[in-house]
Amino acid sequence: MARSILTRLLLMIPTFALVMIIIFVLVRLLPGDPALALAGDRASDAELATIREKLGLNDSLLTQFVLFVKATLSGDMGRSILMRAPVSSVIADKLPITIFLAVYSVGLSLLIAGPLAFVAALNRGRWPDSLIRTVFQIGLSMPVFYIGLVLLTFLAAKLRLFPVGGTGTGFVGQLYAMFLPAMSIAFYTAAIILRNLRTAIIEVLDAEYVSFAKVKGLPPRVILGRHVLRNALISTVTLVGLSIGNLMSGTLVTETVFAVPGLGRLMLEAIFARDYPLIQGLTLVFAVLVSVVFLLTDLFQSWLDPRMRQ
Amino acid sequence: MKHLSTVAMIALLAGSVSSAWAQDRGGIMNFARYDGSKLIDPIYADSNPDIWMVLNLFDTLLTMKDGAVVDNLTQSHEMSADGLTLTLTLRDDIKFADGTPMTGADVVFSLDRARNRDLTSWADLIGSIDSVAAEGNVVTVTLKHADPAILAMLATFSTAIVSKAAFDAAPGATDQEKSAAIFASGKPGVGSGPFYLSGFSQGTTMDFTANPNYWRAGADGKPLPYLDGVHFEIIPDDATRVLKLQSGEVDVAELIPFSRVAELKADPNLKMELFPSTRIIYAPINTRETRADGSANPLNDVKLRQALNYATDKDALVALVLQGAGSPMASPLMSSQTPMATDMSPLYGYDIEKAKALAAEAGIQPGTPLTFTTLAGSADDATLFAALQHMWAPIGVNLVVEQVDSATRGAKNKSGEFDIHTYGWTDDVADPAQVVGWLGYNPTANAVGTGWNDATFNGLYEAANAEVDPAKRADAYKQMQEIYAEAAPLLWLYQTPYAVAMSKNVEGYIQLPLGVNKFDEATVKH
Repeated sequence: MARSILTRLLLMIPTFALVMIIIFVLVRLLPGDPALALAGDRASDAELATIREKLGLNDSLLTQFVLFVKATLSGDMGRSILMRAPVSSVIADKLPITIFLAVYSVGLSLLIAGPLAFVAALNRGRWPDSLIRTVFQIGLSMPVFYIGLVLLTFLAAKLRLFPVGGTGTGFVGQLYAMFLPAMSIAFYTAAIILRNLRTAIIEVLDAEYVSFAKVKGLPPRVILGRHVLRNALISTVTLVGLSIGNLMSGTLVTETVFAVPGLGRLMLEAIFARDYPLIQGLTLVFAVLVSVVFLLTDLFQSWLDPRMRQ
Repeated sequence: MKHLSTVAMIALLAGSVSSAWAQDRGGIMNFARYDGSKLIDPIYADSNPDIWMVLNLFDTLLTMKDGAVVDNLTQSHEMSADGLTLTLTLRDDIKFADGTPMTGADVVFSLDRARNRDLTSWADLIGSIDSVAAEGNVVTVTLKHADPAILAMLATFSTAIVSKAAFDAAPGATDQEKSAAIFASGKPGVGSGPFYLSGFSQGTTMDFTANPNYWRAGADGKPLPYLDGVHFEIIPDDATRVLKLQSGEVDVAELIPFSRVAELKADPNLKMELFPSTRIIYAPINTRETRADGSANPLNDVKLRQALNYATDKDALVALVLQGAGSPMASPLMSSQTPMATDMSPLYGYDIEKAKALAAEAGIQPGTPLTFTTLAGSADDATLFAALQHMWAPIGVNLVVEQVDSATRGAKNKSGEFDIHTYGWTDDVADPAQVVGWLGYNPTANAVGTGWNDATFNGLYEAANAEVDPAKRADAYKQMQEIYAEAAPLLWLYQTPYAVAMSKNVEGYIQLPLGVNKFDEATVKH
């Protein structure tokens, strides 16, 4: 077990190296450059030339790449052009809020999807099943920013149950202030999880070992908890892991609509400003986050399913 | 008894009158911004969210009032007869927010910083300054050559006065590091403006606290500002910013989309303000003989450029895109708010027959393709494109859209890889030299990327910027506007106001034509 984790960790190194090369090239393929974005409309050609020189954009690509690798290994990842501060500190400032939002929305989506999937599966083909599936089919087909604006308009601006945007202070304050952004992401994720979990539960319910357990006379609570849930969760865990990857890109939209100052909004700003060091740093951090989530997913899965430990 | 009650009545009346006239003071104004400041330092303010806040924390030596330059931190200012020596006598009651008095040394320090090309891209605004010296509260500015705009530049944010002592004491090895350290400290000291920066969280919030040592007095004779402070929240999404105001969580929301103006005007709880601005929206036309890909460029022909302008119904565009909250451009080179603007309205008033004739003279065949480059995601640009495609079809133009992001559009403007693209401009200084240099004077930036290069125009521009006789200078600017209008290197669209919505409880908040957010005389009742 420890050995396989170690192998996985070592394999991450070439992954990250590849991510670094790709993003380094990609940002430079974009038209426009940081000098232009920084100085804006009014800049004369002479001013732009000065800024480019100052930012080291006139150095050869190789020199720039070596500097990037050095800065990354040293931990500060270079200096953000837009924020005028080390990339590492800019990201460290915003990382907690994005992780909070991600965990919060995954938690909410599991809370919603879990029980409802059971209700739907146990009432297969009857009205509760149809109702649940229809409602979440709508969730699946609506863009996150639209759900967000609907929630904001009715629950925040009209009914004033929640604040419009912002992050709140303290743990409870954050849970309250960020309920709507988490909910707008959770609605979508829950729809995916629900669909998968419902099918998985139905499959497990039809499996022979469940029929056997019923015949044995085990109480339904034990059958559902120990046999059905555990087995149905195996494929769902993979899905949740993958959806956290998607969720990272979802934060780009959600954080903008809800004015949550996290990594998603930062990434958007960095791209528009062609802030090469910040885009590179953020991409690397996203890569690390997603890799860690995938690793944890695999570990959890092998705990659920003893067959995978071999 | 009767007498007594009369006295009581009078006292009561006087009491109610005086309380009705008492100046509202105190409280924090909550303000929703579209974008956050990065660094508010006179010389490092690069983008509008920085530039428009400088004068809340710092003061300039002179200031603009009703279109004229007047004293601000100075008691008097005097230019020598040869136009080469400016003598400024400072007021003696100016203190920085930390309580230390402002002296001539602070002025020398600030102006030397503001004209240092290694530090700031604004140095050229006061590039005519040769040296600055101070003796007591008298500052002498010596110029290399006469500069008609120098007084306006001393009323511009980049020349605002910074405390030398506070700046020197800040940690950091370089000027940039010191500036960043001061900005992050949240302590009063470096400026003498109505507020000091008391809190800052990148991209999230910003707080201003009233400067207890501010020198200007309010209507009640006590020092300004009226507010205890301003709390800013950064809400980039237009719809969310409006919701934040409607829910009562903020008192003011700026940059309201024009499509929402009518709705918010009708809201009984809100005031919808349209502040006059120097903002112009236009579209540079590539005037080069060939396109970047080497193909012949029909837009090289001035007749086609004029035809496009005649075929564009600007009043319709103002109604469609701005919902009426704006007006067609009246001067070809600047907004009506910019000094020396010539009112040439209607500038290429809608005349489809003239447009057809000009296009025919330019040899345009039906279906001639032209590309219109717009900002992806901009509702305004999408509407504009659809309208222009429809308006230009009768003269034989088949308009095709190309959507890009802002940085890409900027790069295309520089490289000339475009036919026509949307663009906007807001003046940073109260003088036409900046905007005319950008739009028309080729050496600055290829006449806003159009490639238009007119020797007469360039000569007039250079002469005007050394001309100290205001009448002669104004005449040169008038000629430039005429030449430019005739050559039509732009598609002229419209000028727009600053749309700001606020609660009915807010009074006195304004946004100046240059964009400056002014809080010193604002009040809010909570």
